Amino acid sequence: MPKFLRIDMTNQQLKWEECPEKYLPLGGRALTSQFVLDEVPATCHPLGEFNKIVIAPGLLSGTNAPSSGRLSVGAKSPLTGGIKESNAGGICSQKIANLDIKAIVVEGLPKEKGFWMVKISPEGAEILPADDLAGKGTYEVTEILLERYGKKVGVITIGPAGEMLLAGAGVTNNDSDGNSSRYAGRGGLGAVMGSKGLKAIVVDAPKTFDVPVKDKERFSAAAKKFAKILMDHPVCGEGLPAFGTNVLMNIINEAGTLPVRNFSNNGRFDLANNVGGETLAEVAKARGGKATHACHPGCVMRCSNVYPMPDGKVCSPIEYETAWCFGPNLEISDLDVVAKLNYLCNDIGLDTIEMGVALGVLMDAGVIPFGDAAAAIKALEEVGQGTPAGRILGNGSVFVGKAYGVTRVPAVKGQGIPAYDPRSCKGNGVTYATTPMGGDHTAGYAVTSNILKVGGFVDPTKAEGQVDLSRNLQIATAAVDATGLCLFVAFAVLDNPEGLPTVVEMLNAQYGLSLTVDNVVELGQSILKVEREFNAKAGFTKADDRLPEFFYTNKLAPHGTTFDISDEELDTVFNF
Amino acid sequence: MSIELRVYTGLEKYTGTRYGELIKLELAEGTTIRELIEQYKIPEQEVFSSLVNGLHKSLDTVLQDGDRVALFPPVGGG
Ligand code: SF4
Repeated sequence: MPKFLRIDMTNQQLKWEECPEKYLPLGGRALTSQFVLDEVPATCHPLGEFNKIVIAPGLLSGTNAPSSGRLSVGAKSPLTGGIKESNAGGICSQKIANLDIKAIVVEGLPKEKGFWMVKISPEGAEILPADDLAGKGTYEVTEILLERYGKKVGVITIGPAGEMLLAGAGVTNNDSDGNSSRYAGRGGLGAVMGSKGLKAIVVDAPKTFDVPVKDKERFSAAAKKFAKILMDHPVCGEGLPAFGTNVLMNIINEAGTLPVRNFSNNGRFDLANNVGGETLAEVAKARGGKATHACHPGCVMRCSNVYPMPDGKVCSPIEYETAWCFGPNLEISDLDVVAKLNYLCNDIGLDTIEMGVALGVLMDAGVIPFGDAAAAIKALEEVGQGTPAGRILGNGSVFVGKAYGVTRVPAVKGQGIPAYDPRSCKGNGVTYATTPMGGDHTAGYAVTSNILKVGGFVDPTKAEGQVDLSRNLQIATAAVDATGLCLFVAFAVLDNPEGLPTVVEMLNAQYGLSLTVDNVVELGQSILKVEREFNAKAGFTKADDRLPEFFYTNKLAPHGTTFDISDEELDTVFNF
Repeated sequence: MSIELRVYTGLEKYTGTRYGELIKLELAEGTTIRELIEQYKIPEQEVFSSLVNGLHKSLDTVLQDGDRVALFPPVGGG
């Protein structure tokens, strides 16, 4: 019987519960969002005693379904003030599922200041003092804990940024090589974990793919078929393994929708190619790194990479959004600098996107010049040191904008907008404006149809069709995030009519269900409704489903477009 | 007429340039994207996206003086 593990930080107690019936059919984002709605008062202080963190593997995690080891981390977000599901790769999801744990819940606040850790294994769980780990970066913490508990354990941890309760802090876990770089980065959940005095969770599970499956034969046939569907798709089977997500840099730049210089009015950066996926693959291979790498065992798309840095360390991976936010967004064109900033974020425990957007705002304020790599590195290091300037930056883009009087702040619901300018990738603009998550590109990744010609084509520079596109993608994404499948399966699922039925077939074979494709759509819709309900209770209104003013008024070159989707249309996104 | 061509993500093996390297071309009036890729013997099925001045265009598109053309195989990420 699957279990909930409750970590009560107030009484320093662990409690195993049978998974309540209500949550049995849920996993990943479906579970975390429902749980947050049920157990977290929407008006609570995100860093106070009533907020809870819930960590859940997806429904298919821990089986041999390809690319199914994604982990959902949920709570009320200190960055947005709304509900948050932040999704990570890494090895912990499969391990947690193989310990028959449906969710780990962290609740309460410690009575005294300090830091603790929790160790979970097939023998049980224990809470241990961790003051020796406090203040340390995530790479060191992970190394220490792998040394202490065995090379194969999973380590979920926060860095100094989380300990300092900064709203840009994320929760990380390691990949199979021990890199603590697979982040549930967005929304400041690292600060929530920090507020609870929880520095790390060690997950020791000898098994990876052995979650009980009702109909093994049927499941394995479906899993094989799904792997083939992925491998046969040119993006999932060729593009992502060869160049990783950063292959996007050049096409987004050519399409004129690359945010440059803190979302200035130009959608191209002449030196984008220097920090793009082709360059990354070339340099990584030349230095003995890898252009193809899996963030967890069983991923067939392997979009990750291993980038050796000049100082001898490796940054693994460098993703497109990170290369963008520390590259073109700051007018920096040196991949080694991008890698260094990425590594620093991983170590200090920060969301790369939020820090890249925040640094863009800081540069716009004139505090440091655009293009100044040394100043950007120093600014980020200050976050780790906890200086006043560092704490301003570490609290994210909106905080920096307020501190320095900048009005051009690309953020929605308090969260920085990534990598695709909404003025000429308008479908993503609709997603940024309306998703319950705040400025988030993954929540309804309209770049597919707008730029990549996957799942049809909707002209990115026109308003027509974007609301429908974003709505359908937001529903599909919520459902995918419940399964534990990596969102990148969507490229194949959108193009191949066999894709979604095969996902349904895997779920049915695993759980002995008879779901249909329609049920999956309903699941996606119900997740969004749950999240919208939490946000409404937390005080969000239609007015929060809007983009910052300058996107409506300042034209973006080369297409001369603004974001021109009306408020009335935006308000129809959740008409279901 | 003069146009700018850039090819990416593996297609550069046909042009003999580096990915993203600017190729300046003088073409006869009325040249289409299809004729341009034939010139480099790029197999048509390998060109998944052809952008002209940042907008997706079909291979039958007739190029104009000053156009910026970019060619890609299937790419994706996120
Ligand atoms: S495609 Fe990339 S992010 Fe997704 S599971 Fe595989 S390696 Fe991880």
